[in-house]
Amino acid sequence: MKVKNTENLVSLENVFKSFNQNKVLKGVSLDLNKYEVISIIGGNGAGKSTLMKILTGVYSVDNGFVKIKGKEMQNHTPSIALEIGIYLVPQEPLLFPNMTVEQNINFGYDKPKHVIREEAKRICSELDWEIDLSRMAASLTIAEQQQLEIIKGLVRQAKILVLDEPTSALTFSETKSLFTVIEKLKKEGVGIFYITHRLDEVFEISTHAVILRDGKVTLKEEIEDVTKDMLIQGLLPDGSDTGYSSTYEKNYVDHTGKPPVLKVENLTGDGFRDINFEVYQGEVVGLAGLVGAGRTEIAEAIYGITSSHSGKVKLGDKDITHMGINETVGNGLSYIPEDRFLHGIFSIGSVKNNLTAQILKNQGFFVNRKEEKIVTKKYVERLRIKLADTEQEIKSLSGGNQQKVVISRILSTNPHLIIMDEPTRGIDAAARSDIYSIITDLKNIGFSILLISSDLEEIELISNRIYGIYRGVCNAHLGPEEINATNVMKAAFGTYERSDSHVKA
Amino acid sequence: MEPMKEVILMSKLKAITKKREFRTFLFLVIIFVIVGMVNSEFLSINNLQNSLKSSLLYIVLAIGLTFVLLTGNIDISVGGTLGLSAAVSGLILKNGGSIIVAILVAVLIGALIGFINGIGVAKLNISSFIMTLGMLEITRVIQVIYTKGQWVENLPTTFKQISQVKIFGLNLLIIIVAIGVILVQMYLSKSEKGRYFSAIGDNTDGAILLGVPVQRYKIYSFVISGICAAIAGLIFASQIGFISTTAGMGIEMTVIASAVLGGVSLSGGVGTVVGASIGAVIMISINSALVYMKIPAFWNDAISGSLLITIVVADALMARRSNKNIKKERLRARVLKPEEVVTHAHAK
Amino acid sequence: MHMLSKIPKWNLALVLVLVSEVIIFGLINPRFWNVSILLGSFNDFIGIAVIGFFVTFVMITGGIDISGGSIIGLTSVVVGILSQVVGINIWLSILLALVVAGLCGLLNGILIAYGRVQAMVITLGGMLLYSGIAVVIVGLSGVSASEGISGFSQSFSTIAYGSVMGIPNSVILFVVLLIIAYILLHLSKYGRYIFLTGINQEAAEYAGINTKLVILSTYVLSGLSAGFAGIMLTSYLGSARADFGGEYLMPILTVVVLGGTLITGGKGGVIGTALASIIVGFLQIGMQMGGLSTQYIGLATGLLLIISVAILSVSDEFKSNVKRIVRLKSYKG
Repeated sequence: MKVKNTENLVSLENVFKSFNQNKVLKGVSLDLNKYEVISIIGGNGAGKSTLMKILTGVYSVDNGFVKIKGKEMQNHTPSIALEIGIYLVPQEPLLFPNMTVEQNINFGYDKPKHVIREEAKRICSELDWEIDLSRMAASLTIAEQQQLEIIKGLVRQAKILVLDEPTSALTFSETKSLFTVIEKLKKEGVGIFYITHRLDEVFEISTHAVILRDGKVTLKEEIEDVTKDMLIQGLLPDGSDTGYSSTYEKNYVDHTGKPPVLKVENLTGDGFRDINFEVYQGEVVGLAGLVGAGRTEIAEAIYGITSSHSGKVKLGDKDITHMGINETVGNGLSYIPEDRFLHGIFSIGSVKNNLTAQILKNQGFFVNRKEEKIVTKKYVERLRIKLADTEQEIKSLSGGNQQKVVISRILSTNPHLIIMDEPTRGIDAAARSDIYSIITDLKNIGFSILLISSDLEEIELISNRIYGIYRGVCNAHLGPEEINATNVMKAAFGTYERSDSHVKA
Repeated sequence: MEPMKEVILMSKLKAITKKREFRTFLFLVIIFVIVGMVNSEFLSINNLQNSLKSSLLYIVLAIGLTFVLLTGNIDISVGGTLGLSAAVSGLILKNGGSIIVAILVAVLIGALIGFINGIGVAKLNISSFIMTLGMLEITRVIQVIYTKGQWVENLPTTFKQISQVKIFGLNLLIIIVAIGVILVQMYLSKSEKGRYFSAIGDNTDGAILLGVPVQRYKIYSFVISGICAAIAGLIFASQIGFISTTAGMGIEMTVIASAVLGGVSLSGGVGTVVGASIGAVIMISINSALVYMKIPAFWNDAISGSLLITIVVADALMARRSNKNIKKERLRARVLKPEEVVTHAHAK
Repeated sequence: MHMLSKIPKWNLALVLVLVSEVIIFGLINPRFWNVSILLGSFNDFIGIAVIGFFVTFVMITGGIDISGGSIIGLTSVVVGILSQVVGINIWLSILLALVVAGLCGLLNGILIAYGRVQAMVITLGGMLLYSGIAVVIVGLSGVSASEGISGFSQSFSTIAYGSVMGIPNSVILFVVLLIIAYILLHLSKYGRYIFLTGINQEAAEYAGINTKLVILSTYVLSGLSAGFAGIMLTSYLGSARADFGGEYLMPILTVVVLGGTLITGGKGGVIGTALASIIVGFLQIGMQMGGLSTQYIGLATGLLLIISVAILSVSDEFKSNVKRIVRLKSYKG
């Protein structure tokens, strides 16, 4: 390790942590000095959050040492962590929704209220962020909540700041202003742990990059010595190839003369307007866009979760515009939701009951247990779902296998069209490429798929055609020949040349 | 300067009228006005005091319960605690023990029951509903065993008189409880530690991260609820003059209804003791209002039941509608407007 | 730890408790081993058991229903007033009373499922409202509230006192409703929807299940079962009163939770509820026969409730801790 003009802030030595039988951290050592921004990259379940919770005193270590500013921490608690200047900005903002912004800022901070208020106002103006201190936290947008969390940390004059995927909910310009702040804090000597999935951000703001995989640090370098390929290599399980080679064949399908499976005409609703696109049989159509661009809202309106204001949705010849979920499902539409835990799985239900939840509809009064068994067996084998027993609770499976169960459930209804919203969110690299092959296989046997993703690399990789969604409007269409990283990026950021005839101003 | 002050005052007034407690209070006033129009005697100082007097023990129970509800838990055992502590201290008094000792013992019993509830909920992760439901049954039996199934009667007159003491023509207990409500309200909303309770119910993970000792404060909330139930038991004994084996039976549901009526959420994080107290006064006033309106008393439960349902459903619908609107506005704000599209294209 | 292995284990434990209970009480007082006395005692807890079966449904969806006790009183009063005061045929009165009970459940269900208000609050209000209506009906009809409405026909009292081939009607009703509840909850598609809705209502909604209707229906069933209980109780006691069932609230919840149903929803079963209600019911007569005051039963059920839930909720953590200690020892040893 090269030593600069350093003063050690955090030193984790050989930290072990397990929950019940689940070993999450298997000997992690990590140092953070003043003036450093360390990016921590790793898939879900790699142990990032656990590591940070140890740092902030929420969890205690099973084995190993936590030293902060040279002092070994025993009986580390969240309040001690706050006192010595460690502050975590969590990925999901942990605000008190029924308190005002100001109450959220001064909660648990032992200082006169007017002092805190002045400080908060000063920070807001410095950041050029506008937040009304008297608003209820429940009324803030996700981005505003994230900003409030960051302000909370800055008001407390944190010396060690942990940012857990702070940009996942921020817009482009908000992200820019956050990066300016990070730059400034770094110059002031604050040490920052920056957890992220976005590799570009790593190169933009950090001084060091650390990769955490499977409870161990697999890469720890100064940023100048790192390349993107190295990061991807570090994320992959040992012995696998670099990256996802383009093995996902994209056979060109000629649709002329064939009717579309799904046709969306001038669809307008909350969060989007004048959306036009169609999906043909046997193709993957991508909806590319950033978080908050309105893609999920479009999908939910098509599926019947929310209602649209005007426009038309046709599935085959059938107008499904004003149908509820019950009817859209009955007509052959299916949806893999963005938030798997909230909307996708029945966590304490068995794998079998999860998988067969939608075939029940076509059964009689009694549950047909024989059919359940057959269907479960078929999909467990077909999608290579790793499990000990089909009666085991689904929450005990890995994220990738959980998603495979959800996909199986959808396939069991034999749908005309599958909408997949962020199908690989929170899934590790190996399972990710597994899901990609599944999607490609499905396409090849004639399924039609509408793929929604903010992972632009992913959408470029497996889509036949791509529509760009930017701030609620569909302003770009990429045909098979136009799909490349730059164009997809442009489409998502709303800067693609409008060569497409679908979009009318 | 003057207009400035007025603006601040106005905005403060506006903020108050938006509060749930204010609406509950308004509702209470409306009840009194309507009944008063039918029978003006209802608005006599004497009756108002009587209404408050009979609400007292419900208010005290509601104060304690609010602590528990704020943290997102529930306490069903208050009726049992009330009965047991009243019976034990009643026997002490009957056997010639001093009033101070009787009060201390009652409070200790309440604190102990609350502590056991708290340990069960916070440390053993037992659902608070089940824990306190079991505790309710247990305390009832202990009361029966302790009193050998007898009523505790013939309490000393000095003790019974406590509930009748007047200062400046006002009942002393009313004054004490009113001051108590205000102090507890200040503690819960203004003090650092007091806000821990609602923070726990509002967002437990957030509270942990900000250094709130969550388990400890959950236990505190049950201890406070237990102590309040014991104090309510003492008020009960002093006001009624005897303690039956069924004293406080079913009271927990009335208190929960009062708190909910007063805007305390059963999912935690929202509510004030002022609101819960007003809710308690409403629940009790319905009874005497019926008497003054010459409506048979058997309408009481039907009216309070439908009232509770109506208010809660209206509240829920209103809250959902405003949430929906906020979400809609947020979504709409994101969408690129037609005129922006043009400028966007030009910008390139 | 998965669904199918955990709950039967709990049921097995309940069976063991039941068997040892019978043995112990029989040793104290051999009259307890008299089968006809045991079967006859079903009349004392049939109401708790029957409502418990369907409150189990409600609790699996993640809700709660505490209004069952007051629906008993309302049904009782409706049967009494219709048949004795208005003079309608007793069987028609029973049918109408059941309709009223179902409507009470329907109101609960609509407000909870479609109004999306907390079940606890709505059924608390319902509890006040339904028993309030019963009191109002009694009050308006001019019947003495304390004495209740009596003078029921002989045929009405055979509902509770009759028997078929030596088996009391209450036992038959218990078994029949248990079988119906079991089929609905554990074998039918509807039952599976109840579980799925209870585990994750949003996910069930996304999977095209009409979760609101599922939730609504469980409250209707729960209300109806309270209606049955009300009629049984009225027949058993020979009079109709508004305050019948008032003390049933705690026992009903006790048997459901003791039966192994998670109060947070998603897991549970009616077999457990049935076993728990027999345990609690036998406890009562056992104590009577053993010369103990029935007032002590609260202590026993209260402790049973807390201990069983403590075991259910602590067991996961406890087991892994034990395993860890064992493993540590084996490392060292």
